[in-house]
Amino acid sequence: MNKISLEKIHEELNPFFEPVGVAVIGASLHPEKVGYGLVKGLKEGGVFSRPGLKGFSGGIYPVNPKVQEILGIKCFPSILQVKERIDLAIIAVPSKFVPQIIRECAQKKVKGAIVISAGFSEAGSEGKKLQEEFLKIAKEANIRIVGPNCLGILYPPNNLNASFGLTLPYTGKIAFISQSGALADSVIDWSVKEKYGFSALISYGNKSDLDVPHFLAWAALDRNTQSICVYTEGLNDGRLFLEIAREVTLRKPVVAIKAGKSTVGTRAVSSHTGSLAGAYAVYQGAFKQCGIIPANSLRDMFDISKGLALMPPLKGNRIAIVTNGGGAGVLCADALEEEGLVLPAPAKEMIERIDGSGLMHPAWSRNNPFDIVGDATAERYKIVLEEAMRSNLYDGVIVIQTLQTMTDTVKDAEIVVECFRKYNKPVITSFMRGQFAEEGIKVLENNGIPNYDDVQEAARVMGALGKYGRYLKEREGK
Amino acid sequence: MKEKIREIIDKAREKGRSFLLEMEAEEIFKLYQIPVPETMLIEKEEHLISSGEKLGFPLVMKIVSPQVIHKTDVGGVKVGIKNKEELVSAYKTMVEEVQEKVAGAEIKGVLLQKMAPPGGREVVLGGLKDPTFGPVVMFGLGGIWVEVLKDVSFRVAPINEIEAREMVNDIKGKKILEGVRGEKPVDFVALCKTIANFSRMVYDFPEFKEVDANPVFLYPEAILCVDARIILE
Repeated sequence: MNKISLEKIHEELNPFFEPVGVAVIGASLHPEKVGYGLVKGLKEGGVFSRPGLKGFSGGIYPVNPKVQEILGIKCFPSILQVKERIDLAIIAVPSKFVPQIIRECAQKKVKGAIVISAGFSEAGSEGKKLQEEFLKIAKEANIRIVGPNCLGILYPPNNLNASFGLTLPYTGKIAFISQSGALADSVIDWSVKEKYGFSALISYGNKSDLDVPHFLAWAALDRNTQSICVYTEGLNDGRLFLEIAREVTLRKPVVAIKAGKSTVGTRAVSSHTGSLAGAYAVYQGAFKQCGIIPANSLRDMFDISKGLALMPPLKGNRIAIVTNGGGAGVLCADALEEEGLVLPAPAKEMIERIDGSGLMHPAWSRNNPFDIVGDATAERYKIVLEEAMRSNLYDGVIVIQTLQTMTDTVKDAEIVVECFRKYNKPVITSFMRGQFAEEGIKVLENNGIPNYDDVQEAARVMGALGKYGRYLKEREGK
Repeated sequence: MKEKIREIIDKAREKGRSFLLEMEAEEIFKLYQIPVPETMLIEKEEHLISSGEKLGFPLVMKIVSPQVIHKTDVGGVKVGIKNKEELVSAYKTMVEEVQEKVAGAEIKGVLLQKMAPPGGREVVLGGLKDPTFGPVVMFGLGGIWVEVLKDVSFRVAPINEIEAREMVNDIKGKKILEGVRGEKPVDFVALCKTIANFSRMVYDFPEFKEVDANPVFLYPEAILCVDARIILE
């Protein structure tokens, strides 16, 4: 097999993310039509607004022979009537017209098409034939296809909403590749409320041409993406996926979830192995094999992606917990153990130095978890966190804050940020969220420290940093 | 080596079989350096005692018949044969019982195997074709564990020994292999080598629909696959 070139795939896919000129074929005046949402999404960023929302600054060309103007933008009877360059066509016409539209796109030298329309391979043999027909035309003209039967692509760094997704999410560092479009929409809604940012959101539907491996390759080289997460119901070509994912995970962390845990394959079973192989178990193995972190739920996937986007991978498996709450510390320690991480006791000199500061509560734990007691001031956090961060006994640190009357949550957060910048060692926080801890959490989030409401989530994410680090080490060793 | 294996496959197909006989499967395992017990095929009853003594007791006897895939179900496996007398009587009982339970079974003879030493920890290895990933390999705890807990792990074949080690680490019951209550750990190096070889075999032969090595016994200094089954496409 030829060596796969991520660069080549990235270049081929880039017109979907940084196009010069976008046409909407099947644009509509009616708000209940997809063709309206597409134009509005391009022009204004989305049908639903949010603070700071902006639309696409490049050329937008609605196409509909019966309409003069949509949302103040001139409408064209055909893509061929547009004189300016168009890289990307978003197609939302009934399926039977799609082959003809792709032919016109070929003439116009369009580079990529997002086929939103449904009614293809998912809808029986007629649809399958139509899909094959337009794919053939596209292939001859070197047009790459996203979809059909998909939501489309959103690329917040470029204010590009090439989809009928609700709105552009806030810009972040995480690319989300989702087979399901409806799911992607709900994720957008959630993300805006949580201010969880995305570098890209890709809904790829029937994967008639472009599938997860291609988007992985694109995201691996996208300058705005730091980590990648994938929701899949099944891949076209498992071996291609493995080959590309192996290259991608050397550059960026990938987290994935496979839907369909309960459906065991229906193939005839004549052996033990056959009866034990559900598709899910095989996917889990395949993910691990190429360094992808398997997630248990969507929430888990986004938690882990955030941690992997913001923190370097762990270099070992030794963790320190710094906490002002004993119970929270123990819960976190239990969860870390389940992740295969260990909590070595501190060195004697370290304890002596901390005691020597004269600032600690006499009852502080002198062990790991470093329980600095409920009345801990920011000063105490600083002394202990500095020690844990600079010590070569620990590969990563979890900082827990339970809110007490004397807690200065903003100062505590600033100390974490300062320590991370100084030592660049993975640090994850669990400032337990509520009405009053919010101010400190904002400081953490604005400064790139991944915070989790629950100490067990924090431990789980630390586990993922460990798995990814171990995988990279093994790959380097080969 | 591959030609030799293809010959075995072709021969089975010519005879209209969709599976390989155990001795054929064992021969293929041996070629991939997957340890199997010392085995002799007994086609004539008069060779029974001399072969048995050559291998050394205790012995396992298994029926060889193209009509029988699930040997245990039809009285086609006898373990713990301790001496000549038991060997002779086991042979008679087995041939009768199989003929009674499988109408028209053609008995080619029996396999005699040196019985695996006691104290082995039981695991399973499997291979099958996944519709998305192609040949995949499975590892898990054997015996009752595999049925109830389904404590198994999969990888896309082929894998190397490092990946095999990761696969072994996936198993929840790994501690059983590491040894509990003063027990010595099993030979992980040999185990991972065997998994890697097994995965290579599964990958090299798309003709194999499913491959089972169950049970596989693990010891502190050895590994032994005591039952080999290969089903053809």
